Amino acid sequence: MDEWALFIFTLAVQASIGSTFVLYLFNLRSSELKEDEAYHLFRMPLIVISVLSLLGLAASFSHLGAPMNAFNTIRNIGSSWMSREIVLTGAFIGLTCLTAGLTIVQKKVTPWLMLVTAIVGLIDVYAMGALYATTLVSGWNSINTYTSFFGTTLILGAVLAVSLVAPKFSKETSGINAKGIIRGAFAVAVLGFTIQVVGSAMFFTAVHEVTMIDAVPASSILANYKGMIASGWIASIIGMFLFGYLAVSKSKKTFVSLTFTALAIFVVAQGLSRYVFYVMPG
Amino acid sequence: MTQIGFFIDVTKCIGCKTCVVACKDKNNLEVGRNFRRVYSFEQGVFPNPSLTHVSLSCNHCDVPTCIPNCPTTAIFKRAEDGAVLIDHDKCVGCRYCEWNCPYDAPQFNEQLGKMTKCDTCFDLRDAGEEPVCVTSCPLRAIEFGPIKELRKKYGNVSEIKGMPSASITKPNLVIKTK
Ligand code: SF4
Ligand code: SF4
Repeated sequence: MDEWALFIFTLAVQASIGSTFVLYLFNLRSSELKEDEAYHLFRMPLIVISVLSLLGLAASFSHLGAPMNAFNTIRNIGSSWMSREIVLTGAFIGLTCLTAGLTIVQKKVTPWLMLVTAIVGLIDVYAMGALYATTLVSGWNSINTYTSFFGTTLILGAVLAVSLVAPKFSKETSGINAKGIIRGAFAVAVLGFTIQVVGSAMFFTAVHEVTMIDAVPASSILANYKGMIASGWIASIIGMFLFGYLAVSKSKKTFVSLTFTALAIFVVAQGLSRYVFYVMPG
Repeated sequence: MTQIGFFIDVTKCIGCKTCVVACKDKNNLEVGRNFRRVYSFEQGVFPNPSLTHVSLSCNHCDVPTCIPNCPTTAIFKRAEDGAVLIDHDKCVGCRYCEWNCPYDAPQFNEQLGKMTKCDTCFDLRDAGEEPVCVTSCPLRAIEFGPIKELRKKYGNVSEIKGMPSASITKPNLVIKTK
């Protein structure tokens, strides 16, 4: 696997997009929060998300052989999915930083800006999928590319958002419906997981035509990564159980550490699956 | 525009790779970067096995999938002869064209950080000579010229078993098969 830069870039940006979306949902469910409570709850998460997206951006730059020509990459927006993805990613990262910046300056969150950021981000996830799905690489030209990306976005987004707000529960925010928030996030993660299961089933039943010279069909390449694929799914399932437990459990003591454990498990799970994605060009 | 293209005589090619080496020498290509490559396809089983060699560079395709996908518009089809070239003032070295060419034609120059490929030896052609792969082949298995003439002489076959379908990019390539 040679694509470490893209590995980090796609995971970091998809996690940022997903958690922006989930934070917006949190905000919707927390209408009873006072302005300053909401500020305390969302300030740090918004900052972390913008830093994470900037890290992703830095990784994507390291993928370029001639980064000083980076501005040229938006010239072919009329026909290149890569151009479109770069414009959308740029817009998302800009909006994320704006959202975090405004929150700090105004000492209050701007929900409509979070919503716009999340929508731009979700369109960007589609563009990321199209970027790979429209290539000639065997295995990428599949609905699974989209489902895998959207699944990662929802799963990592949900667990990251929960991990970022959990330490704030019960301290500054007495009026918050903590359980309601966690259950909402769990529902988002279940949706993401379901999408990935469906996409993966469709992937393994599809025939992967080889459209590049000297290439091997995706199915033969993936046969060498069975252990990794299985470990990824097992980690995902363990993560889902833990997340589900957090959504129903009453105990508060271990809550924060368990959310971070869930985050770590899902990062490993999605990382394994993304690694396998990038071995497909052979 | 007179579209140029290559003719490859698979019946003559013995897979010696002199064209690959001559091209490397002409373009000063380091290990791993090959504007022309020879692919070998094994077919059939005993008692009728066959081994076929096909020498391929960029085919300067009629539907070059590399071009619409390049984010920088660095790849272009030259108006005068339909050669597909890369503008290094624009290329950002994203390597996306590698995933969008069926023939592995774009070859990344690590040192430059940019993509490079067969340019049909246009300097030699300007001087009235042939591309170096054509003149170097000891079996005269490669010809270069207007694709219409090559097709008239040698037919319309653009793929052999094992190669990606010619319907993807409509390569300017004629192959003489056994
Ligand atoms: S062979 Fe590949 S690089 Fe050359 S024109 Fe066709 S698609 Fe583009
Ligand atoms: S490497 Fe250069 S020529 Fe190839 S797609 Fe990227 S910008 Fe275009």
